[in-house]
Amino acid sequence: MRTELRSTVDRLDRPSAYYHSRNNKRRRTDNGRDGRDGKDGDTEMANAQPEEPPEDPLRNATTLYVGNLSFYTTEEQVYELFSKCGEIKRLVMGLDRFQKTPCGFCFVEYYTHQDALDCMKYIGGTKLDERVIRTDLDPGFEEGRQYGRGKSGGQVRDEYRDDFDEGRGGLGRAIQHERMRDNERNREKERNYDDDYGRLR
Amino acid sequence: MADYDRRQSGGGGYNNRKRRYRDDDEYDRRPQRRRYDAPVPVRIRKQLLGLAESPLRRWHEEVQSIAQVIAENYEEQELRTSFLDLVPQMVIEQPLKVPFVAAVVLLVNSIKPEIIDELLARVASDTEEKVKVGEWRDVKLYLKFLACLQGCLEGDGLFPLLEELFSRAVDLQTASSDDTIGTELVKIILLTIPYILAAAPTAQSQQKAAELMDKTDVIASEPHALQVLIDPYHVSDGSDSPTANMSLVGLLQKQLQNEATSGWELSCLPRPWQMPLEEIEQQEKLDSAQKHTLPGISIPEKVITGPRPLFPEVFYSVYVNQEIASVPPVSSIASSIIRDALSDTINILHFNRNATARFLIDVDCYFAPGTFVKRATPFDRLRDIEGDRSTWKPEDVAVDAVFSQLFQLPTPEHKLVYFHSVLTEACKIAPAAIAPSLGRAIRYSYMNTYRLDLELTYRFLDWFTHHLSNFGFMWKWTEWVDDVNLPDMHPSKAFIMGALDKEIRLSFAQRIKGTLPEPYQALIGPEKEQDTPEFKFNDDHTPFAAEGKELAALLKRKAPDDEIQPVIDRIHSAALDQSIDPLVSSTDVFMTAVCWVGSKSLSHVLACIERTKDRLLDAGAASEAARAQIITAVMSYWSAHPGVAINIVEKLLNYSIVTPAAVIDWALVSDRAGPYGEALSKAWVFELVFNTVVKVTGRLRQVVSGEMGEGAVEEVAAMRDLFKRMDDALVSWAQGTKDQMMDPVVSDGGEDLVKRWGERWLRVFRRRSAIEESFLAESKVTA
Repeated sequence: MRTELRSTVDRLDRPSAYYHSRNNKRRRTDNGRDGRDGKDGDTEMANAQPEEPPEDPLRNATTLYVGNLSFYTTEEQVYELFSKCGEIKRLVMGLDRFQKTPCGFCFVEYYTHQDALDCMKYIGGTKLDERVIRTDLDPGFEEGRQYGRGKSGGQVRDEYRDDFDEGRGGLGRAIQHERMRDNERNREKERNYDDDYGRLR
Repeated sequence: MADYDRRQSGGGGYNNRKRRYRDDDEYDRRPQRRRYDAPVPVRIRKQLLGLAESPLRRWHEEVQSIAQVIAENYEEQELRTSFLDLVPQMVIEQPLKVPFVAAVVLLVNSIKPEIIDELLARVASDTEEKVKVGEWRDVKLYLKFLACLQGCLEGDGLFPLLEELFSRAVDLQTASSDDTIGTELVKIILLTIPYILAAAPTAQSQQKAAELMDKTDVIASEPHALQVLIDPYHVSDGSDSPTANMSLVGLLQKQLQNEATSGWELSCLPRPWQMPLEEIEQQEKLDSAQKHTLPGISIPEKVITGPRPLFPEVFYSVYVNQEIASVPPVSSIASSIIRDALSDTINILHFNRNATARFLIDVDCYFAPGTFVKRATPFDRLRDIEGDRSTWKPEDVAVDAVFSQLFQLPTPEHKLVYFHSVLTEACKIAPAAIAPSLGRAIRYSYMNTYRLDLELTYRFLDWFTHHLSNFGFMWKWTEWVDDVNLPDMHPSKAFIMGALDKEIRLSFAQRIKGTLPEPYQALIGPEKEQDTPEFKFNDDHTPFAAEGKELAALLKRKAPDDEIQPVIDRIHSAALDQSIDPLVSSTDVFMTAVCWVGSKSLSHVLACIERTKDRLLDAGAASEAARAQIITAVMSYWSAHPGVAINIVEKLLNYSIVTPAAVIDWALVSDRAGPYGEALSKAWVFELVFNTVVKVTGRLRQVVSGEMGEGAVEEVAAMRDLFKRMDDALVSWAQGTKDQMMDPVVSDGGEDLVKRWGERWLRVFRRRSAIEESFLAESKVTA
């Protein structure tokens, strides 16, 4: 028979470029994330490459990375929504490295690859706790990955965010930090003044 | 077409992002790289895929221009391969566009007829392949495509094939009254006929169609033996189900007969192969184009069901009995034709809900002009439509189709959440058009919860709350304010309570309270706003308070089991002194302590269960009473948040700490889930039992389809035992022979409600049981 044809409509159950581009900066054939609504990428057809890397770590992935959660979303809420795609084997909440509080992402592990794919199709891009969440296939959770990798303990993306997102702790942390330092400095000045004042007396 | 033109003129500076990589490497970044350099096959693919999507393009122009390019460039190998691959693929992936693809093919035929033979050969062999494996939907779609080409087929065209399919159907139906393949074949035949008559409205076709319909009548008009099982309504004795006469094939048969008597008007079908008057030359070329012989498509003597189990279908609509028909009436063939194309679209495009939603919103692009009213026409305005112009709202027709799939019995083709997501996307794309239609669908479903199949009531509840969670939990609760004072067991009130609980699970109590009018506020007690329920042993008046606290402290510091045992022993001896069941007492204290220690999150409680699972396993294995007590402890600790409790019980089932039978007994036999049969009205009890049954049947199917080993025999026996248990318990509720119901003290009229709940439960699980039995029978046959 013929080789498998590319669908006439893009699929939503493809991983984002994240993992593949980490391994190989050149391989950017997937547009699962950006091309959601597109019916067909005409230009892609010419250089469509059916061959995948020989050992695709996502081929049987049962785990999803879930992003853009509110810091206040609980495990129970995640369970309630994600169970609609199948029984959850394990749920690991992403935590702030220092505070050990949720920092806006988690890993959901299903029993089957199909459930994970269905989750990409039916839950990724919908709302949980009134935020549009992002899902991506993941090769699997390993100890240590639950912690944010930003300087301040949270996720890197929350470092320099300049929009005020109440669900994710307000402004980016670096910016917050800067502001706090400013305040601190001002207060310091005042305190110094107080101290001096005291001494003068 | 238009897309291309627009992009060319958009200036060369901004290129499509996806092209950047190649541009960077191989070409200078010079503005003269122009878009119309896209190779012809790519351009044709793009245009074919986009067929009929834009209401601004005229059908005949669009199909003509594509056909022209194909015919002119057909010598190019790449274009040829692409065309031959794409046409059959589009037919089975984008059902709404089938007539338009066919029109392109017909026009190509009028220019370069030799192309068509190659294509027909391809489609014929694909069809044959799909027949062989029982992919009946694909077969139907290929036949629909061939039907649209009837005008360029020699002799009787597609009719002989339909006749052969019918003869298979007859064989199957005579062999068994439970047969579903024959019914499916008849459905396919009946759905193909209108396309033939739209494409080739000749006296000969009409004659052939009439002959065929004479024959299908016997099968189509006879109610199917399985229909009672899959009727979406479950009315109480003495009344008629609104869908009693709504078998899909039965309706089709009648609709086609109506159509035949009115001269096959088929007014909803698009006819993009018909040229307007000014294109008379083109029309003549089309009419006189070369005819082709349809290559033989052999139908095996024994046809098979294929990967999906087949069931007779019932036509379900949430827009019935309206003052003005906003969807085609079931007397009109349009209702079946449009529903069929939309359901296929929905089920096929499960891998891109955005595309599905787009098709639903654009449904009016794919049917004859005038089939629908203008998009987003408010329902109230339908009244002002004059004469015999259509009052069908495209949004209603689209939403109706999604509901028909969401509410399909026994099970829809995809996970329920897929249909949720389609409605969510549709609502995002066109909120002003879709939201009011959904509102009316919700009202209809709510009004009918009392007679809807209980499983469907639960599906409705699950969708409704999930949908609201995507749209800020906004709903006009004031409409149902009067129902707040109904008894809790009333179906409407039960729905409201279930919905609030589900909403809270996806959000939190305070948030949901904020969306509710005053009369509802009392339904969300303060205990729901508390994240961590109280530990009853913190109250020193509770028996075993000291032991409870001690156990909690030990669990908290992950003390080894030999430190726990002495506390348990103390409970045992104290219980013996009070002559109560020692094991039940200690199990209650221990399990409650586990819940309390793990109350921070599910991970916490699961980790705690993991650490103590040996002790729990021993307790669970020791006696039925102890097993029940484990469940009771979890359920009462989390009584304000049944969702959490259900999750924990599910994990306990995985560890085999409790058994499915214990869960069923707990929920249905004892009074623990609610006194006097109240349990039956609670959505979360249904959820608990339903999930447990699904878990058991799911595992059984895995075992059976793996290998029929000894394990399978045991599993089958266990499953049958479980269904038997449920049946016994539910029958006594349904017939009112349950002891608790006989109690004269509670005879306050609620008894009939309980009976009715019992009947509804019974139907759901008897159906489940029947389906599993037929699965077993099926797998034995094939084994």
